[in-house]
Amino acid sequence: GVEELALLEQLLGLPRGNKYGVQGERKVPVLQTNNGPGLKGLMTIAAHLVKQAKKEQLLGSTAEEKAVVQQWLEYRVTRVDGSSSKEDTRVILQDLNVHLEDKVYLAGNIFTLADILMYYGLHRVMVELTVQEKEKYLNVSRWFNHIQHYPGVRQHLSNVVFIKNRLYTNAH
Amino acid sequence: MGFGDLKSAAGLRVLNDFLADKSYIEGYVPSQADIAVFEAIAAPPPADLFHALRWYNHIKSYEKQKASLPGVKKPLAKYGPADVEDTTGAATDSKDDDDIDLFGSDDEEESEEAKKLREERLAQYESKKSKKPAVVAKSSLLLDVKPWDDETDMAKLEECVRSIQADGLVWGSSKLVPVGYGIKKLQIQCVVEDDKVGTDMLEERITAFEDYVQSMDVAAFNKI
Repeated sequence: GVEELALLEQLLGLPRGNKYGVQGERKVPVLQTNNGPGLKGLMTIAAHLVKQAKKEQLLGSTAEEKAVVQQWLEYRVTRVDGSSSKEDTRVILQDLNVHLEDKVYLAGNIFTLADILMYYGLHRVMVELTVQEKEKYLNVSRWFNHIQHYPGVRQHLSNVVFIKNRLYTNAH
Repeated sequence: MGFGDLKSAAGLRVLNDFLADKSYIEGYVPSQADIAVFEAIAAPPPADLFHALRWYNHIKSYEKQKASLPGVKKPLAKYGPADVEDTTGAATDSKDDDDIDLFGSDDEEESEEAKKLREERLAQYESKKSKKPAVVAKSSLLLDVKPWDDETDMAKLEECVRSIQADGLVWGSSKLVPVGYGIKKLQIQCVVEDDKVGTDMLEERITAFEDYVQSMDVAAFNKI
């Protein structure tokens, strides 16, 4: 929630100055603004920060890309956050694995906010996966390994290790 | 290295397998490595080789920027999985030296991505150099693998180390040697073929198990 907004500010190169709070049981992040009640919601604030940093391409360039970015941002908040059962996690990883089969990034060929926030959202899940599960969701592993090496994204989060030789399927 | 004959189905299959867990041929950004392989492929890979197809479409989207991607194009034999030879018919520059100028080639100012790619390729160059003996020979190595503390599961650590497989690498016996404060290090023997397996590669693979392994040293290295 709030911690990843700080990471996002850092990644975007924004000066730290924004004040954040949380609201309600679900700890919805709130950004205090000078006038008015403040911006509420992880996605709203994240998109706002991207525009503040003048990096709108992170939200997608074509109409289709923008829609896909929104799709995954929504997925993050509705499906990933608050999911705790093994079954929920399995469904998410399966969805992602299928989507990423023919794409390098979530939106296809460009790196967007969707990749960043899905990375932060899934970090706790990926850290716990066994070697076998990482191989099962091979496309997710490939994508996750790629994003965590993208300059500026990982910061202080732990590096999730992906073994190069596959143990459970035939290696070449 | 290399992918076999990239103009054949077998070569494309090797490429597909290679790209299953990677976004790019080298490193984490598109580079001249990707362009070199892209240009060696005659047509988009078939749909059943979906990793290769994903990569192909992605690199195609960089068509206009291909001249400005970082890195230097190397002969095809320098890319790909370590144990496959490049036999692509139209191989260019096969007489190139292994020695490439890593420091001077880019005139553009060094972005972070270019720097990272350079460092990665430097490591590759070093490990390639250390694998270049005059004679095909074997060596017996004794490796010391040190855990983080005395609570590290040494059985798991040994399992991880033994799970490292490579052509030319055979694991031998092992024992646990106490080093003090209740901490034991794993001393494990292995026999390697010098031109297939290097200590840098072994070190990289062993220390990749960050959860268990704090460091690895070569305690003894004897030519057989």
